[in-house]
Amino acid sequence: MDDIIKTENLSKHYGDVNAVSNMSLNVRKGEIYGFLGLNGAGKTTTIRMLLGMIRPTSGIAFINGKRVYADNIELWKNVGSLVEIPYSYPNLTVRENLDITRRLRFIPDKSLIDKVIDKLQLGSYSNRKAKNLSLGNAQRLGLAKALIHNPDILILDEPTNGLDPAGIYEIREMLSDLAINHGVTIFISSHILGEISRFATRIGIIHEGKLIQEVDTNKLDKLCRKRLLVNAKNTKEALSILIQNGYTVSKTTNDIIEIKDEDTIRNPDTIATIMVNAGCPPTLLQVEEEDLESYFLRTIGMNGGVK
Amino acid sequence: MKNIFATFIAECMKLRGSRIFWITILIFLFIPFMMGLLFFVQKHPEISAKLGMIGTKATMLRLGKADWSAYLEFLIQGMAGIGLLGFGFVTSWVFGREYSDRTLKDILALPVSRSFIVLSKFIVIVIWCILLILVFFTCGLIFGKIIGIPGWSNEIIFQYAQTYIVTSFLTLLLCTPVAFFASYGRGYLLPMGFVILTLLMANFTGLVGLGPYFPWAIPGIYSAPAGTEGMQLFIGSYIILAFTSVLGFAGTIAWWRFADQH
Repeated sequence: MDDIIKTENLSKHYGDVNAVSNMSLNVRKGEIYGFLGLNGAGKTTTIRMLLGMIRPTSGIAFINGKRVYADNIELWKNVGSLVEIPYSYPNLTVRENLDITRRLRFIPDKSLIDKVIDKLQLGSYSNRKAKNLSLGNAQRLGLAKALIHNPDILILDEPTNGLDPAGIYEIREMLSDLAINHGVTIFISSHILGEISRFATRIGIIHEGKLIQEVDTNKLDKLCRKRLLVNAKNTKEALSILIQNGYTVSKTTNDIIEIKDEDTIRNPDTIATIMVNAGCPPTLLQVEEEDLESYFLRTIGMNGGVK
Repeated sequence: MKNIFATFIAECMKLRGSRIFWITILIFLFIPFMMGLLFFVQKHPEISAKLGMIGTKATMLRLGKADWSAYLEFLIQGMAGIGLLGFGFVTSWVFGREYSDRTLKDILALPVSRSFIVLSKFIVIVIWCILLILVFFTCGLIFGKIIGIPGWSNEIIFQYAQTYIVTSFLTLLLCTPVAFFASYGRGYLLPMGFVILTLLMANFTGLVGLGPYFPWAIPGIYSAPAGTEGMQLFIGSYIILAFTSVLGFAGTIAWWRFADQH
């Protein structure tokens, strides 16, 4: 049984609003599944259904082959979770907050508190009250609560929110290590494709409650569009030379010539040779790849953030 | 057993560092002091005129004979009202804080049943309120001694202590619907509004003679001196109160187990 997390036509409707519609996805063992979507796309609702906090209107969710529902408490022994912005008991210290989680998880070994504090570099804050933590450290405490029992499955909702770049890098490395070296299955939501693509092995894109694409991260660059940008001192002449040579060209808003043909993009030197021989050498010859955010916006049917 | 032990200890830990616990203790110390003061003023009409508002209020109360029986009756009736408000506040806080501190989502996907978490919260509320009950009565007795109320006898104290305990217990039973409203309303506002409404309704139903049928008026009626007109309870009154309590408890458990937790 390879599917650690699986949903079958999972849906949640609030009256006429379809927060999540017929979501069917599966996450295999040791996989880091990036769950990508804009704010309000249905990521948190899906995560809450995966964690038994919300009952689906229809459909089923499974974790480790067992059906998810509120009373199936055995499920959560091997699951660590973080939902939205983590909050802790404000008047308790980091250590006391972790001790509550330890007790509610029936972990007799108190040393796990120190281990997770070290792992998340919360040592200097261990006796600080949660209400006095910065957003980044509150996020670390949330992650510590999710990791204290060394779970086999992690379900994390935007875990790098509020972290500085060094913190984001550190958490990314830690999660990668857990997946690669310890076989932990990670389901992680985000709204930033550039960030999630750095360590997720597979990405599911959700938009308006629907899973619209699943893609292996190593195939992502093949899906991003490329174009060859060409310019010369005399753009008009360059344009006519390229058209005469049978190229399909267009102009960008910056008055630069754009070629989208894949063969040409793979052989930009041919263009250079043609233009030099025609007495109009290029001043710009650049293969430009669509960045991941543009790809994401294009996939969900938005252009530059505007529908 | 390990479920209830773990959740109970966790609930007790959540009280650590909280000022609310000590504030409620202080309030339940202060109120019998004020009641003792009123009684003292009423006992000494010669100083009542000098004390302005307090004096007027004490005179208006017409507490009857200034002896231990009248004083203890006064304390017990005080508990019926203050208990409703105080125990309601404690319950609102214990349940409502998980929503207002937004910590609820962290205790839902754990290998411990939500029913045990709810049960532990109720146990904490009961222990907390029993402390308040003891503080209130003990302070009442101490202030009574200090102001020199005449007619102390162990029999009288024992007899009124029994009435006090039953009144407090009946009031405590009514905290379960407050827990439901704290969970349903996801915070403090709705349960506190509900507590205030029940307090007003308890007075109103008491006035129009429907008190024995209204759960929140029943502890007050029980605390009233025997023979007070319109203040007689019947078996059904206790059944109504018990049913309300069970309904609140079951409703809270059901809400935690079956409702969508956002």
